[in-house]
This record gives sequence, C-alpha cells and structure tokens, in this order.
Amino acid sequence: MKPETLWAWAALVAGLIFLSPVLYTIWISFQTVDAYYSGGAHFTLENYAEAFGQYDFVRYLWNSILVSGVVTLGGLAMATMAAFAFARFTFPGGDFLFAAVVATLMIPSHITLIPNYLTLAKVGLLDTYAGLILPAISNGFAAFFLRQYIRGIPRALDEAAYMDGARPYQVLWRVIVPIARPAILSMGLYIFISEWNNYIWPLVAISDQDLYTLQIGLARLYKENPGEDVINWPLVMAASTITILPILFGFFLVERHLVRGITMGAVK
Amino acid sequence: MHSRFTPYLFVLPLIAFIAVFTYIPIVTSVNLSFREWDFLSDNKPWVGLDNYRLIMSSNEFWNSLRVTAIFALISVPLRLCLAMAIASYLVREALPQRLLRGALFLPSVTSTVAIAVVFSWLFATDYGIINAFLAMFGIPKVYWLQNPQLALWVIIIVNTWKQLGYDIVIYIAGLQAIPQELYDAAAVDGGRKRHVFRRVTFPLVMPTTYFLLVISVIEAFQVFTVVDVMTKGGPAGATDMLVNMLYRVGFTLFDIGMGSALAVMLFILLIGLAIFKSRVLGRKVHYEA
Repeated sequence: MKPETLWAWAALVAGLIFLSPVLYTIWISFQTVDAYYSGGAHFTLENYAEAFGQYDFVRYLWNSILVSGVVTLGGLAMATMAAFAFARFTFPGGDFLFAAVVATLMIPSHITLIPNYLTLAKVGLLDTYAGLILPAISNGFAAFFLRQYIRGIPRALDEAAYMDGARPYQVLWRVIVPIARPAILSMGLYIFISEWNNYIWPLVAISDQDLYTLQIGLARLYKENPGEDVINWPLVMAASTITILPILFGFFLVERHLVRGITMGAVK
Repeated sequence: MHSRFTPYLFVLPLIAFIAVFTYIPIVTSVNLSFREWDFLSDNKPWVGLDNYRLIMSSNEFWNSLRVTAIFALISVPLRLCLAMAIASYLVREALPQRLLRGALFLPSVTSTVAIAVVFSWLFATDYGIINAFLAMFGIPKVYWLQNPQLALWVIIIVNTWKQLGYDIVIYIAGLQAIPQELYDAAAVDGGRKRHVFRRVTFPLVMPTTYFLLVISVIEAFQVFTVVDVMTKGGPAGATDMLVNMLYRVGFTLFDIGMGSALAVMLFILLIGLAIFKSRVLGRKVHYEA
C-alpha cells in the first residue's frame, strides 16, 4: 500500500475510535432494553417512539428549534445593524458604545444569572418563551465580527447606492447584507449552535415542563430515571441522539459551506 | 442623505439589550452582594461585607475553589499539549487530515448535556462499557463516579474529549501562519525533526498558545454543565466547581446575597484574567524571525 492510502486508513480508524462514544450511542438507541441487558442485538424504533411520545421530546425538540431560531434571527438582525453603523458612521459616543459591545466578550455570563432571573420574575416572564429568548438574544461577538467584515467592503459601493438616492437601511439591506452573506451565515450557525446547547439559562428560567428545551428534557430524563442499575439506557440514548442529531446535520452543512467558501476564493 | 440620529437607531436595539441583560445585572449583583435576601421577603437589609466574610470562612467555598483550580491546572495543559501534538500532524490540507480534523472537531459543537449523559453511561459501574472492557482483563468493578479519587478525573477526560477539537483547529490556523521559508531554512541547516519543533514551531505558535491558555483557563473556571449532569458536584464535593456552588446557593437555597457575592468574586477573578489576556495579546507575544 502507498503511504498516502495507509495514512487515509489510519486517519479513518483514528476518527472512528475518537467518535466511538457517539456511534455507540446511536447504535444502542436502536436496541431493545432486553437485548441491551442480555448483550444481544435486536433492532427497534420503539425507543424513539417512546421518547417522542410518552416523554414529550417532540415538544422539547420544537421548543429548542423555536428558541434557537428566534435567538439566531433576532441576534443576527441586531448585530448586523449595529455592525453596519459601527463600520460606516462616525458619531459622537460611537467609539464608546463599540467598546461597550466588545467588552461583553470578556464578561462571564454567570454574573448575570441571578439579576436576569430577578428581572424576569419582576415582569412575569419566567416560564415563558420570551424569558428564554430575551436574555440570550444580544450577541457582542457577532456584532464585533461583522463590523470587522463590513469594514473590508469597499465604501464606493455604499456611495454609489447613496448617489442613486438610497437610504441607509436600503444600503444595508441591498448592498452590505448580500456581500457579507458568508460572514452572516457563519455567525448565524455559531449563534444557533451555542443557543441549542445552552443549558444553565433554561435550567434557571424554566420549571414548566411544556417549555423544556432538549437539553433540559434530556438531563431530566437521565436524572429522574429511577434506580441506578435499572436505567433504560436505550431510551436515554435515543433521547441523546435526538438532542445531538440536528447539530450533526448542521455540522456537515457548515463543513460543505466552508469548503465551498475556500474553493470559491481559490477560483477568484 | 441621512440624519445624525441614523447611526444611533441602528445600534439602539443591540445596546438596549446589552444594557438591560449584561451591564445593569453587574451593578445589581454588586448591590445584592452587600445585602441579605431570600428572594421572598419584602426588605433586603444592607449587611456590608457579611456575605463575603461568610463565603471566605466556609469550607464549601475553599473546596470548590480548590477543585476548580485542580481541574484547570490539569485539564488546560493536558488539552494544549495534546492539541499541539495532534495539530502538527494534521496541519496538511489533504483528505485524511481534513477528515480526522472534522471527527476531532465534532464533539466541540455537540450538546454538552448529551455528552455528559453518554459518558455517564460509558463510565457506569454496572453495565458500563468501560467496566465491561476492564472485566475482560479480570479487573474488578471500578466505581468511577462514586469514588472521590476518580470522579474529577472522569470530568477532566470528558471535558478534554469535548474541547480538544476546538484547540486543534485554532492550533492548525496558528501553524499554517508560520512561513514555509523558516522550515526550508531549518532543513537546509540539517535540522532534526525534534530540533525544528523546539526551535521553529514551538516559539512561533507561542501567540496561539497564550491565547488558548488564557481562554481555556477562563472557560475551566466556568465549567458547570458536565458536573451538573454527571455528579452534581459529588461524591462528597469532590467535583464541586465554583459555578455549581453558585447555582446551588442562588437557585436551590435562594440565598441571593451570598450567591451574588460569590458571582462578584468569580467575576473579578475572570475579568482579571481577561484583562491579562488582552494586555499580553495586545503586546503581541511575537517572535520575529
């Protein structure tokens, strides 16, 4: 065998070993409990039926999609607007405000936990979708990243549009957003993934089971399964797979997106 | 063309949300840290530094600080060494390297809760695959998560498995930025592999190492999820991190004053580290060749 091929096989094997906990999880999620405890193999979809049905994971899945989706869209909208202003306008206080946005990158989120809980309790938003979404929606990193990106776009494009009588919001929407789309897209994926995996805030803000996200639902299912030795592991693994899978799909999408970006850059 | 209010309108939503949910909470936390409050009663009497004194004199706090520090001291160097070693093998842009990079990166974007659940199962005392594997060699049951000597190590393994891919990706970017001429020059001088690594690669990825070092220490001090799912801080406080203690004090004991004081202390520690980072990185730890 050529050393190249050998390398490829070695890489594949190493990758599979590294990911074996995930692969094993998916495998067990399709096994019956009896098969699992007796060491056999018996394919079934029952664990998924049980997780989605009896244990309400359809609901948690929907909650996760809704919350992460709104946080992503809202976060991107706010970040893009602010990034545009910081990149293109000089205005009194602009530098200070930008510094305040960048400084949020250094602020550890745990300091806001108790106060945000109290704020939401005061306005009656605990145990609501809004309570999950609002504290998570501002994203200083996205604003900073997009501002850097927009600064790289030639100003002449803006000016041409202004000459044609465009208003600032039209310049943003028609000129900047289309050009900055790769950057906006990758920030969107970043926000979506972080919010999807967010655990501590929903844990604090939600006690109503109907509003559980997948992360809370999975943690509860695992912890509340009675008895250390009689845990229904195939069911828990099905729930884990449900929690991981959307991000796995997203991951392959990002990979392709990245590859496309690289090859496009090479062709230009 | 546009009024002078235009830029303010564009930044207003972001600034408003940041003010309400990030900056005002810092002030609120500081204020509440000087008060006694159980979340329910109407008055919140000012108690000065009592909450801080109480924390400083509690064994619970010193235990959490010690556990968190040990966790950071072991897991951060472990991650960086592994990541640097693996990254230097995966730096080439060929298919096997890219595939392996993808595999290693995957856990860092997947759910921490799911990973914690899966590893609880792998490390389960009965029917856990790791104990089953050890049993093949006649090794008796190991109580991974029930043994105070071992539980923290399991947490470190899980955290390393999850975060390693991120470190590797950052290291690869750092390694790819090193000019090829330096390696060529080293090859001309007949440099041995180990020598080239010590004299060229290692010093030149120093900025990346500093960056990763500081952000992973900051991250290590905020670990919560893995511990909350796998051990709840147990057994006997052996894995009780600072944020787990904060959560317990604030949201199960509802001691808002003490929880806030703990949050402020952790905040000062982490902001100190963050400022240190921007100072060091601001000066750009560069080794011009």
